[in-house]
Amino acid sequence: MESLADTLWDVVICGTGLQQSLLALALSRSDKKVLHIDPNDFYGGAEAAFSLQEVESWVEKVETGKEGLFEAASVKKLGGDTGLSFPRAYSLALAPQLIHARSTLLSQLVSSRAYRQVEFLAVGSFSIFKPSPDSSQKPTLVRIPSTREDVFSTTAISAKAKRGLMKFLKFVLDYDITPQTDTWQPHADAPLTEFLLKEFKMDQELQTYIITLTLSLDGKINTRDGLAVIHRHLSSMGMYGPGFAALYPKWGGLSEIAQVSCRAGAVGGAVYMLGTGVKTMNDKDDPIVIELSSGDTIKTRKVVRANESATDRFGINRLVAVVGSSLKSLFESTVEGAPKPAVAIVAFPAGSLSTATGEASTSPVYLSVHSSDTGECPANQSVLYFTTGSEHASQDLLQQALDSFPAALSGDTVPQCLYKLQYKQLQSSAHSQANGSIFDFAPPASALAFDDSILQSVQDAWKMVLGDEAVEEEYLTFADREGAMDDDESV
Amino acid sequence: MADSGAPKPSSSVKLVLLGEAAVGKSSLVLRFVNNDFQENKEPTIGAAFLTQKCNLPTRTIKFEIWDTAGQERFASLAPMYYRNAQAALVVYDLTKPTSLIKAKHWVAELQRQASPGIVIALVGNKLDLTNDSAGGDGEGAGVGDGEDARKVTTEEAKSYAEEEGLLFFETSAKTGYNVTEVFTAIANAIPETSLKTARGPGASSAAARTEEQRVNLNGPRDPNAKEGCAC
Ligand SMILES: Cc1cc2nc3c(=O)[nH]c(=O)nc-3n(C[C@H](O)[C@H](O)[C@H](O)COP(=O)(O)OP(=O)(O)OC[C@H]3O[C@@H](n4cnc5c(N)ncnc54)[C@H](O)[C@@H]3O)c2cc1C
Ligand SMILES: Nc1nc2c(ncn2[C@@H]2O[C@H](COP(=O)(O)OP(=O)(O)OP(=O)(O)O)[C@@H](O)[C@H]2O)c(=O)[nH]1
Ligand SMILES: [Mg+2]
Repeated sequence: MESLADTLWDVVICGTGLQQSLLALALSRSDKKVLHIDPNDFYGGAEAAFSLQEVESWVEKVETGKEGLFEAASVKKLGGDTGLSFPRAYSLALAPQLIHARSTLLSQLVSSRAYRQVEFLAVGSFSIFKPSPDSSQKPTLVRIPSTREDVFSTTAISAKAKRGLMKFLKFVLDYDITPQTDTWQPHADAPLTEFLLKEFKMDQELQTYIITLTLSLDGKINTRDGLAVIHRHLSSMGMYGPGFAALYPKWGGLSEIAQVSCRAGAVGGAVYMLGTGVKTMNDKDDPIVIELSSGDTIKTRKVVRANESATDRFGINRLVAVVGSSLKSLFESTVEGAPKPAVAIVAFPAGSLSTATGEASTSPVYLSVHSSDTGECPANQSVLYFTTGSEHASQDLLQQALDSFPAALSGDTVPQCLYKLQYKQLQSSAHSQANGSIFDFAPPASALAFDDSILQSVQDAWKMVLGDEAVEEEYLTFADREGAMDDDESV
Repeated sequence: MADSGAPKPSSSVKLVLLGEAAVGKSSLVLRFVNNDFQENKEPTIGAAFLTQKCNLPTRTIKFEIWDTAGQERFASLAPMYYRNAQAALVVYDLTKPTSLIKAKHWVAELQRQASPGIVIALVGNKLDLTNDSAGGDGEGAGVGDGEDARKVTTEEAKSYAEEEGLLFFETSAKTGYNVTEVFTAIANAIPETSLKTARGPGASSAAARTEEQRVNLNGPRDPNAKEGCAC
């Protein structure tokens, strides 16, 4: 058997986050010798999903500063052990991103045949949390109408507002051609809210609907980006079935995609080593000489790794809560024939929450509610992922959102919070880049929806590894492996 | 396994094979899937994925088989497979005592780390290298009066399997002895309730639910979907 040291590797991939894992998938049918390592003892990096035991050891690692992009992590079991199931009944996602139907990620998973190993669930309604106007009333959740039928049937907005909304939906459909471009381009860098007010006379409430659909973390998304995101959302609607625009991979979101990609890499012959990082690297030499933390010294032509130093202080704060209710009212299909959604999105717009000291929130809080159908928690429980852009009182704001949310639910028994995980995830403005024989991926974005831009970096890394052998048209396009065909498919 | 013709409910079961290098994991799969045997099978690199159906009287089980590499350098791979598995086949070579020790390590790791409901079968392979006439159907599983290479007694492995609540079989991938039986026993041991829908900890009850919930990326779709803005 060839040992690690005797092999001249074509590429060493360090880290099993989504980008590195997709690269492993992309290389899985090449004859390249791939060594895929991860200093962590789990797969998925910043996109991992954890059982409750794993959460605890991860939190410890974050607290000792060993998880570069994360900080201020803490975990709390509430009400003792009652209510919570056994630790492995949970799979809490660090990256609970939803994936729009139009995303290139999905078409790449299909063309590479990796989709066969993933179960996709529908993301259902997007709602807005409306605080009670006075203490005698309860706060409410208002569903955002995002199809024509929805707009017609909703009672939440006036007839005049409906016309404005209709006009806007129609505009967005072809926003990137003339004459639409003439309308928005002068406002391209101005906030989308201003554009909506000026061109569509939308009141603040309607603006909030539209901003929520953009999932903009600070609510200040500009017109150019905002229109692109709304276009993605609306044109994704109905693509894989009626009534939903986005999907979610069962068992932990992007973590599942990373794992499935690594498995494909392994089937293709890549060697995997967890708990193994790069200790020293001499990139002056060709081949590059690497001393692994396992003590082995290896030689490789190329190295792909992730930049995990956060240069920006900006980031997100997240609160993940497990609650003891199935929150049924959030997961009703609204369109006939639609698959039962497993994820629901709720936005707490700027101003809808106030901190303990009475300050009104200045940026939105987003909540992604996952039913037990996601496999992330046992039946009769749900996982709530709250996210907000980091500010001085973010932690407090997330807690306020968690506390205020139950009152807005209709019909459900008031859910008891069983478990709470909090952390901050830093971001970086660094770009992915190739430097000779070394490729560095930018740290993963912590947006709420999967952003296709990382896919280009993966393809760039693939090109660097394959060099002249790279045939762009064949990128991630594979036939089914022999014996792995689903023979029921054609029936 | 005769097919009655009437469509039976069909469900998939994820199965992972674990065990020391060269104990015959891939050979067992090859026997089960293609009814074939190769005298000099090359070591598995990384992992292999195969599917095979198993017809039970009341239902059809489609095994999605992950055959992992036994070589130590691939050891990091295993968690990726057993994390999702509903069944595991832990294989040792009954002519090699160290392989049973390794098998016990895998069983312990599965009990610690895998899905709680996982069905585990312990399989002692290469029975043809022993003198056992066990089930010697026709050509017989034993090598007749050649020397007996057995180093792990049936009793030892069997009592261990009983203690741990594992299914237990001795097989020969070479003659095919007991191979289908292992997979059939696993198929039968998977609780009906955990099939299809009730797969995971978060499983729900109604049997047709998953199908209705699961979004098919390959299904009919409307490339010009404009429902959102067809106004
Ligand atoms: C992280 C993760 C990822 C998964 N990914 C997939 C996947 O991709 N595809 C897939 O098909 N399945 C997946 N599964 C589900 C897994 O396949 C199923 O759990 C497995 O098939 C067993 O199902 P079961 O219903 O037989 O047992 P389970 O429902 O898992 O367990 C049986 C019951 O026994 C009890 N129990 C068992 N162990 C304990 C314990 N230690 N303490 C207390 N109570 C206990 C519990 O009440 C539990 O509900 C995943 C599970 C996890 C945890
Ligand atoms: N006599 C005999 N030989 C067997 C049997 N099963 C497998 N072998 C032989 O044992 C060797 C190893 O078999 P494999 O199936 O490749 O073993 P493996 O467990 O998949 O090995 P790795 O992939 O390296 O983990 C091959 O030469 C097989 O022909 C058996 O039942 N009887
Ligand atoms: Mg093998």
